[in-house]
Amino acid sequence: MSAQRANSHPTTGLAKQGLRPPIWMSTRLDRWLTRIGSHLVLVLFTAFVLYPLIWMVLTSLKTTRDMMANVWGFPRTLVWENYVTAWVGARLDYALRNSVIVSVSTVVLVTCMAGLAGYAFARLRFRFATPIFLLFIFTMNAPDNIIPLYVMLSKMHLTDNLLGLVLVLAARGLPLSIFIFRAYFQSIPHELLDAAKVDGCSELSAFMRVVVPVSTPAVVTVAVLELVGSWNEFMLALILLHSPAVQTIPIAIQSFFMDYQTSWQPVFAALTIGSIPVIALYVIMQRQFIQGLTSGAIKG
Amino acid sequence: MNPPPGRVGLHRSLTPYVWVMPAVVLYFVFKLAPLIGGVYLALLRWDGIEPATFVGLDNFVQIFHDKLIASALMNNIKFAIGTVVGKTVLSLLLALLLNQGIRGRGFYRTALFTPVVISMVVVGLLWSWIYNPQFGLLNDLLRLVGMENLILDWLGGTKVALWSLMVVEIWKWYGFHMVIFLAGLQTIPEELYEVARIDGASRLRRLASITLPLLQPTMLINVTLALMGALNVFDIPYVMTAGGPANSTMVMALHIYIRGFRYGKFGYGTAMSYALLLFVTVVAGIQMRLMWRPDNQ
Repeated sequence: MSAQRANSHPTTGLAKQGLRPPIWMSTRLDRWLTRIGSHLVLVLFTAFVLYPLIWMVLTSLKTTRDMMANVWGFPRTLVWENYVTAWVGARLDYALRNSVIVSVSTVVLVTCMAGLAGYAFARLRFRFATPIFLLFIFTMNAPDNIIPLYVMLSKMHLTDNLLGLVLVLAARGLPLSIFIFRAYFQSIPHELLDAAKVDGCSELSAFMRVVVPVSTPAVVTVAVLELVGSWNEFMLALILLHSPAVQTIPIAIQSFFMDYQTSWQPVFAALTIGSIPVIALYVIMQRQFIQGLTSGAIKG
Repeated sequence: MNPPPGRVGLHRSLTPYVWVMPAVVLYFVFKLAPLIGGVYLALLRWDGIEPATFVGLDNFVQIFHDKLIASALMNNIKFAIGTVVGKTVLSLLLALLLNQGIRGRGFYRTALFTPVVISMVVVGLLWSWIYNPQFGLLNDLLRLVGMENLILDWLGGTKVALWSLMVVEIWKWYGFHMVIFLAGLQTIPEELYEVARIDGASRLRRLASITLPLLQPTMLINVTLALMGALNVFDIPYVMTAGGPANSTMVMALHIYIRGFRYGKFGYGTAMSYALLLFVTVVAGIQMRLMWRPDNQ
């Protein structure tokens, strides 16, 4: 890019050459050094991020002795038993099932509710639209007040219960999702909806038939945001879920670690099992993940 | 055939409320109600089991006599300064490097963003092993490069533990902030650089007079996010050090959790939550005032 730009101004380049004779050589060398230097820094910080994750997988397959003698390298023999120990010891069968239930329910609930509300804020006129919308926006960043939340949920018999966690996570996810849907629906051309209304569609059927089919990008953004958020959520799950039968992945891994402090490899196996589903999805849908997870910071 | 006009009008005017109702109800019950109703809880002495006693503002008075609060708040502030500076400087550097039209931009971006999708529990436990004094990666690396004198018990020393946690927080998020900086860099018009180059402005000069000033709104977003995250941090200290050693990594959210759920001080814990909320709001306000430049919007 910069090379192109330098070439597009031959006159200024010549003028500079006149001032400092060997400059074409030094700028080319300079450019080359910058490029190599940039790659070095980037490779270093990429390795800093990726190697610990690779190390996690490698160590999960080692024997204790292999792990101590051969800290950095590949396992000499693959010890799949570590995965069995983790699976049984951390009750990962329950945990995976619970995490899937929590994540899927949260995504569905938030997408439906925020979709309807976002459409109303974007397209329907009503008296308290602005105050209600601002209420969402102004309170969205207030952290949950965990003790009253716990007291309330236990009065409602929603502690130690997946539904309780889902409802709290969904409530927490609503404002940003409404914001994203509202912005997206405002960008849909009026003509599209007017045509549907002329055809005699009600507001709801116009929404279902015309708006929903063209809203995949917004739905994906919200779904990614809620999926990653609920899959990884720790603090609320810690407070609300106690018995092993309802624990989600982060809680199950944390308590497994407390019991198995001395044997690393099964813990690494548990960490790997817990993060593989999200990492796999991320690898498949990188663009959507990056876009969705930064949508709170970059205007949607 | 048609319903009377009045009915239609009423029906029409109520429809939007039906659309927003599910979201409003859910949000009110599970987000706003605890935030509002907690005010009453903050006025009680209650362990969640025995009958509660009304103690008025005693819980709020007690905050000023709680020595641990002062050090927890101090740790939050240190953590905030360290991680905000670390995250912004590192992510800005990487974003600038990636923005020169470098080869493999997509790969670097995707790879550096990876930790964002991983659970903080996984990240915390993984780093606990990296920091392990006997077998951890970090001390082994120091041994390999012959810097044995730097070998430390990274999570066991009162001086170093909080810094070790900051590194983990930065590790998890620098790719995230880099992506936001990249988006900000993309909004700066190319022509500005063209003109500056023709005028003979050096690379450093262009950075200081074009890139950084125009990146101000993006900087504001990044600093705000990092600051809020640091003042409410819970997962990392809970998983990695439980606030130890000797409370050197005790932070406000963890202090509230322990007081509330381990010691059964529901009223006092709630009062502290409000104090923290107030503190965070004030800090956010000050930070916005300092960084807000309307002319750059």
